[in-house]
Amino acid sequence: MRSNTTALLLGLLGLPLPAGSRQATSTHPVAQAHTKTAEPEKQRTLSTRVVAYDIAARLDPAKHAITASETLIYHNLTGQPQKQFPFHLYLNAFQPQSTFMTEVRRDDPDYSWKPEHYSAIKITQFEATGMGDLTNRMQFIHPDDNNTADHTVMQVELPTAVPAGADVEFKISFEDQMPEVVARTGYLRDFYMIGQWFPKVGVWWKGAWNCHQFHHDTEFFADFGTFDVKVTLPQNEVVGTGGDLVSTTNNSDGTKTLTFHSEDVHDFSWGASPSFTDVEDTWTGSAGTVKIHVLMSPGNMDTAPRYVKTAKDSLTLFDQWIGPYPYDRLTIIDPPHGGFQAGGMEYPTLVTADTAWYMPKGALFPELVVVHEFGHQYWYGMVATNEFEEAWLDEGINSYTETKIMNALYGKSTSVGNFPFAQLGEDDSQRFTYLGRPDLDPLTRFAWLFYDDRSYGEITYGKTTVVLLTLEKIIGEDTLRQALHTYFMRYRFTHPTGSDFIRTVEEVSGKDLHWYFDQAVSGTEMFDYSILDAHSDPLKWWETSSHPSSPKDELYRTYVTVRRNDDFIFPVDVRIRFDDGQIVDEHWDGRDRWKRFTYDRNSEVESAEIDPDHQIWLDRNFYNNSYLVDADKRATKKLSNIWGFASQFLAQLFSWLA
Amino acid sequence: MADAGPKTFMPGAALVWARQRVLWLLYAISFVLAYVATRGTNARVGAILDHSSAARQLTHGFNVGAFSSLAMSPEAPLGGLASASVSGAVLFTIFMIFATGGILMTYYSGERLRAGAFFEWSGHHFWRFVRLTIYLLLVLIPVLILGSILGRVYTRIDKQSISPMPAVHVFEATVVLILFLLICIRIWFDMAQVIAVAEDEHRMHRCFRRAAALLWHNFGSLFWLYFRVSLIAWVVFALGVHIWTDHLRSESIAAPFVLSQFLIIFWIACRLWQRASECIWFREHQRTVATNVPVYDAPPLAASESAVPSTS
Repeated sequence: MRSNTTALLLGLLGLPLPAGSRQATSTHPVAQAHTKTAEPEKQRTLSTRVVAYDIAARLDPAKHAITASETLIYHNLTGQPQKQFPFHLYLNAFQPQSTFMTEVRRDDPDYSWKPEHYSAIKITQFEATGMGDLTNRMQFIHPDDNNTADHTVMQVELPTAVPAGADVEFKISFEDQMPEVVARTGYLRDFYMIGQWFPKVGVWWKGAWNCHQFHHDTEFFADFGTFDVKVTLPQNEVVGTGGDLVSTTNNSDGTKTLTFHSEDVHDFSWGASPSFTDVEDTWTGSAGTVKIHVLMSPGNMDTAPRYVKTAKDSLTLFDQWIGPYPYDRLTIIDPPHGGFQAGGMEYPTLVTADTAWYMPKGALFPELVVVHEFGHQYWYGMVATNEFEEAWLDEGINSYTETKIMNALYGKSTSVGNFPFAQLGEDDSQRFTYLGRPDLDPLTRFAWLFYDDRSYGEITYGKTTVVLLTLEKIIGEDTLRQALHTYFMRYRFTHPTGSDFIRTVEEVSGKDLHWYFDQAVSGTEMFDYSILDAHSDPLKWWETSSHPSSPKDELYRTYVTVRRNDDFIFPVDVRIRFDDGQIVDEHWDGRDRWKRFTYDRNSEVESAEIDPDHQIWLDRNFYNNSYLVDADKRATKKLSNIWGFASQFLAQLFSWLA
Repeated sequence: MADAGPKTFMPGAALVWARQRVLWLLYAISFVLAYVATRGTNARVGAILDHSSAARQLTHGFNVGAFSSLAMSPEAPLGGLASASVSGAVLFTIFMIFATGGILMTYYSGERLRAGAFFEWSGHHFWRFVRLTIYLLLVLIPVLILGSILGRVYTRIDKQSISPMPAVHVFEATVVLILFLLICIRIWFDMAQVIAVAEDEHRMHRCFRRAAALLWHNFGSLFWLYFRVSLIAWVVFALGVHIWTDHLRSESIAAPFVLSQFLIIFWIACRLWQRASECIWFREHQRTVATNVPVYDAPPLAASESAVPSTS
């Protein structure tokens, strides 16, 4: 999911396109009329398929409702008999007394409930094959907060346990009432974004069912498997899904039924609108050819080439840096104007983007969103970490890779905004996010236990990014990239934990990094090192009245003192420049509160700077990392001029009244 | 739109040029207020930036991240900056209300007023123009209501329309309409001020009504008089900002300062150009329509440099 803070950002120009592609625009109502490629790589079973969903759904646009039947085959690979099965009913979150909405209101007392945001998923019949109708055995549970009004998790107890290794087949009839788009799902005019819309079984993980309630700041967690989904809807609808189109049938009642198949994924979502324009393209990488569909909303067509280019660039760089993209499709849905709530979301092989009709080229917001959401195909889609409990592993690592890719594509200092008058890079943008309240929560906190929504975003997205950027200083950028590659290849199509990630980084780097991760990931220590003092004094200061024959004959004692202002302990490099051009690099382990370096030279100190290569992004104050003996007032004068002019101009506008 | 009324374009500019002291006075006030508004912040910002190499991100280009980091630094150096600027703007506005009497007398009389006379005329009309400003604020209320209604129309269309463009067109039309109304209102009150000064009228409601009639019967002439100067001001302003952002070296200090101050001076000059044009227009209008006063004589108390206003 996109970080809210990214909505503030501005940006720049383009970059080289990856190789060979063709692009076409179509308004054909079947936007995904392609068949799966027959390449061997894509016919392998990639995941341990725990679930097999077969869903037939019918959309009623007049009521914004879906009626559906679901057959779920659950393979009991838990290693023990299972009698109780929990299911997510995410759509019940958008009700006033739900835990989700309670948390929304807690974090924003100005939030007012809108009836059109109401949504619900109602199970009308629940059967288990061979066990009969179990509808009456369903009960809502509230494992996180005991909120009895929350109906986002349902549990059913079977009459007989499912033996280890056996399958159980559930037959579920359900009805969805979709909300006006909220929290990445719902309708807006003729647009539908249908996500988290069917009863989804929990995950047996760490010896227990993991099926959390839907919270304001939580996302999702599910097992891999297959999805066969039939969607019936009006014939004029253009549909984008996270699956391959298998067949299309036009029905006599003016509807059509589209059948989709998807495998080795853990979710299935879809979007539809008669107003979409389908822009198609292809990309070929190490795992074969990927068909790209970009479903553009009216008014936004100017952004379509930017989406396509960014998607292909992202595919290329992820393929090179992290690992192969094994699916044969990628769908990007561009929500219509006013549909911000549907934008910037990830589902397996389908993402939603975000733009506006007026989006200037210098504002790289559309690119940023596509890179971020595509990155989730790796960090969430394939490396399927628990988003409820360790959000930093998907949103955080993904924000880091987003940063690296945006920097590579659009320049380190211009990867978010690139205008003649101002620039913004992703590194700075993520650090800006982190600086909000950097010590309120550790990265490892369960998502719904963060202090509030803002802290969740700042820490999960921003802090994780700067933690990993700073980690580059310790192990090197290339080593960290190699570690991410290893982590991906090792844990794709599984549910790894933070420990797995840290262990992989330590293994690849060959370094014990617990001293760092304990502070940066598990801790809330603040990070601030500064130059406390830098000055030179004549060595024979008592002879100040005597003048040496040449300035070079004068000997000076130079003092440079570095200080650790906060609790985060980190080794730092210090670069001292002297006025004869000499440079001295020092290293301090950073453990004590301060460290003084002393030099006797026939030159005076010119400047002292901590982290001269600017790699420690965790440092919350860059301005005190250096000290220039001779003041450089240009920045102050520049800001003064800008603000003075702004003040004068404001006065002119006000005086219109006079 | 044709300029069917008296020729005011070049004479107005010439009058502003000839009475430059007014322009420099307003610019000096503007500059001093801006200086005061930014001085405290400059000291705090300087304490952070002047000895830091990180400040180079603001010198070479303008790194929004570095600026944001500065704004969020524990010393909060930018705190209070906006309120200081707004306070300065309010003070400048009050000064403009005060000085308008002197400005208009300078342009209407065509004479060079001594400083003492200028400020006495300013003081003479100050409370009158305060009352007129209150009238102006009252007149703006319906415009605000209209803007609010059109805003709701925009929101409704934006919410219902499949394409964003219909709402965009409504927005554009709304902006044009509101700007048009604001220009008309400004001309209306400008002329009311001119009447008040030219005829030393202390009953503002009379000026208010007479100016409305004047605008109604001479709309094309007065609108064109005002609008073309506004257009020049905005075009030059946009050009100047473009040069500043796109063509000046980002680390340059002197050139942006000179350019920015030129823009402010030009902006003030354009406003004075409008006022001078309005005074000339009204003088010529009086000359034309007042058959019993075939040749306009300067108002009794403004005819010479020593003239001072009577008490009212």
